[in-house]
Amino acid sequence: MADVIAVLDKVSYKYPRSPGLVLRNISLEIYKGEFLGIIGPTGAGKSTLCLTLNGIVPQFYGGDFYGSVHVSGLDTVENPISKLACCVGSVFEDPETQLIATSVENEIAFPLENLKVPVDEIRRRIPRVLEMVRLSGYEKKSPAELSGGQKQRLAIAAGLAVQPSLLVLDEPTSQLDPVGAQEVFAVVRELNRQFGMTIVMCSHAAEEMAEHADRLALLAGGRLLALGTPDEIYPQVQLLEENQVRPPQVCSVFYSLRQKRLPVQNIPVRLEEGKQTLRSVLQGGRLLPPPAFPAPPAPHGTPLFSVKNLRHVYPDGTQALHGISLDIRKGEYVLIIGQNGAGKSTLVKHFLSILRPTEGSVMIDGVDTQQLKVSQLARRIGYVAQNPDNQIFNETVEKEVSFALTALGHSPQVVAERTLASLQAMGLEEVKDRHPLSLPKGERARVVIAAILAMQPEIIIFDEPTTGQDYRGARYILDISRQLHQMGKTVIVITHHLYLMPEYAQRVIVMGKGTILLDAPIRAAYHDTQTLESTFLTPPQAVLLAKELERLDGRAYPLLTPAELAGCFERQNGHLG
Amino acid sequence: MGMMKYRTVEKDSFFTRLDFRPKLLMIVIVSVVAFLWESPLLGAALGVFLIVACLLAGLKVSYIRMLLLIMLPFYVLLLVAHGIFDEELVLNYLGQERLHYMFRFPGGGELFGAAGMSWEGFWYGVNIIFKTLSLTLVIPLGIFTTDVDRMIVGMVKSRIPYKITFIFSSTLRFFPLLFEEIGAIIQAQRLRGLAVEDMNAIQKVKVYAKVAIPLILSAMVKSQQLEVVLQSKAFSGSPDRTYLHSSDLTRTDYLLGGIFLFLFALVLALYFLYGVGKYSVPFIAWEA
Repeated sequence: MADVIAVLDKVSYKYPRSPGLVLRNISLEIYKGEFLGIIGPTGAGKSTLCLTLNGIVPQFYGGDFYGSVHVSGLDTVENPISKLACCVGSVFEDPETQLIATSVENEIAFPLENLKVPVDEIRRRIPRVLEMVRLSGYEKKSPAELSGGQKQRLAIAAGLAVQPSLLVLDEPTSQLDPVGAQEVFAVVRELNRQFGMTIVMCSHAAEEMAEHADRLALLAGGRLLALGTPDEIYPQVQLLEENQVRPPQVCSVFYSLRQKRLPVQNIPVRLEEGKQTLRSVLQGGRLLPPPAFPAPPAPHGTPLFSVKNLRHVYPDGTQALHGISLDIRKGEYVLIIGQNGAGKSTLVKHFLSILRPTEGSVMIDGVDTQQLKVSQLARRIGYVAQNPDNQIFNETVEKEVSFALTALGHSPQVVAERTLASLQAMGLEEVKDRHPLSLPKGERARVVIAAILAMQPEIIIFDEPTTGQDYRGARYILDISRQLHQMGKTVIVITHHLYLMPEYAQRVIVMGKGTILLDAPIRAAYHDTQTLESTFLTPPQAVLLAKELERLDGRAYPLLTPAELAGCFERQNGHLG
Repeated sequence: MGMMKYRTVEKDSFFTRLDFRPKLLMIVIVSVVAFLWESPLLGAALGVFLIVACLLAGLKVSYIRMLLLIMLPFYVLLLVAHGIFDEELVLNYLGQERLHYMFRFPGGGELFGAAGMSWEGFWYGVNIIFKTLSLTLVIPLGIFTTDVDRMIVGMVKSRIPYKITFIFSSTLRFFPLLFEEIGAIIQAQRLRGLAVEDMNAIQKVKVYAKVAIPLILSAMVKSQQLEVVLQSKAFSGSPDRTYLHSSDLTRTDYLLGGIFLFLFALVLALYFLYGVGKYSVPFIAWEA
């Protein structure tokens, strides 16, 4: 039996203003040197559980706390937070608000200075932890100059500097692009495997958790529903889906195949195991010919947006776009993907005339956008930015939704009618008198979308709409985008979450270093794995398994989703399963 | 693109090599003197001296130009307010019976509620302008020429409570974030059809006022997140901690501190004993 580093014994907790318990009777042992993943939907109590480990719950928040938590033998209620900070390093979700110092070295020194560590010792530790998170040489830089992934690695370094026995990370990758997320997971895995650091991490990134975690704790409604290795937890697809948790796609594929009574002895949770299992399924089941996917209707008519040789150089000299040309026609659903800095947002900001071309042109319906004001373009283009909170500036939901209509000079009757219709469409009627910022994040995003819809734009741009949302929240927003598309609107979505998009997008534009690397229908784009990887994007596991199937069978299977992949197999006659 | 951040001047100069403590003394003394002096000429001399010092210290001309441009409407308002509408105050101040007018309004001022612009009010306005200019310039001169680490240690060594020092350094870190948020909110308003570019000044002020509510709410959310982060980093606000950086006073720092104190004493003596720096009208070029 491994040594226990932290023990939660019958922990229940209620915040001072929460209507009910946020944690309910949780008992859990965390072992020295393990990587414990905590999974669950938004509101499951994951973050609160993390905060019990460093004593911030209940010491800082107050509220009703039952049971006990011990970390390295210290009771987290009886010992001050400053003492617990020596045992528990903490990394939070938002890279911006958790870095407080004006330079990298000061950030690392800050907790050590508070703990009265002698200066010579601080100077010894700074290069050591920076090396551990691969940030050597950045000592004098301002945290503001770092990328998202570097900021989170710096937060980890600051946590490590106090030489904790336990490192707790709460959704450290949810606001990062794929490169940043990979950097963080790589560093955390190295700390765990190479240095034996005990890790507790909350994350929605199912594929990565399956790869790295030793055990998973599934939380829902404040209860610990299941505890075990990823191989024990993720195959319980029904349990996960009932609790709004997305399993790795490889699990979904083989779970469906097992439901069809195909020979799947153990449901794999990692891609490589999935590839192995695919071989045995091929031997024991019947592979159907590749399904025929009707080609999406070819876009026709004059382009709505016409971009010609667009180049953009920022005032600091950064060349963001290098001579881009493309057309987008009315009624298309376009997905724009690429790593951070690829130029996606810069391109879209030219559509809105927020940015002006350094060279080249952007036309909307044959009119140069440079001749139009942002407010004029706003009548035709709705833009839903990543952070809903920066788009909310009215006292009530109703005023927020009607704001644009009033600004655009509509009559009071039209304002009232359209506001009501928009509130109804987004299911916000009951909260119309509440302050938008008092609503949960998912509903705040809906308020912003309702405000955009009220303007009845022809084109809607969603810029990273799924960042920071759980699976359920992300699907909700994308379902709205599909409804809009079905109503004849032109939809443009920017996202890093490729696995979410097959059911929605038709055309994919892959960008890299300010150029268009690929512009193709979604099936062709997702199966061009080389191009995707060149811009640090990982294709969904279902696509990679389909590629493996192609390799094994010799025929092309342009599949995108676990359901499509499972649909290609049948039981062999007489096979008992 | 690219987050704004606090940055010290790039040029290495006499100012940048100084400890923060003599600079802090300079900020305090210049502020007191600027408040004390009411002479437009001495105020102007102090203002010009500070502009030259800022340029020598490495502050960019563009920065000073921007400061002046931002302040310009305020300065015009000061001249109008004191020159035209401040008759009583200026008369009382000078102990005069009548004012000398630069120009008079037609109809004896019945229409405007004032007779015209007086020389005495104009020069009083000039005095206030240079007071504000000096205060606006001395702070960047002291702060932007000091490395932030040395500044924090300098403040702690000056016995400024550590909590205040920490709030100061956090402001330097979080102020740019606040500006980014203001920009994002105004952009969101434009993207909802608000034609900010077609608005007059009053309408624009209303737009900015609307930004305040989400900004304050977001700042409150962020401050709670920050408190959690600080707790997890063993922050208690106690000055009983170690400091990675140090800042020691050199002979130059002591010498400069001494010079500042001597000049301050001289200014006080001349003001209270001989009235040097008290309000007076430098000249009246013509009278309408």
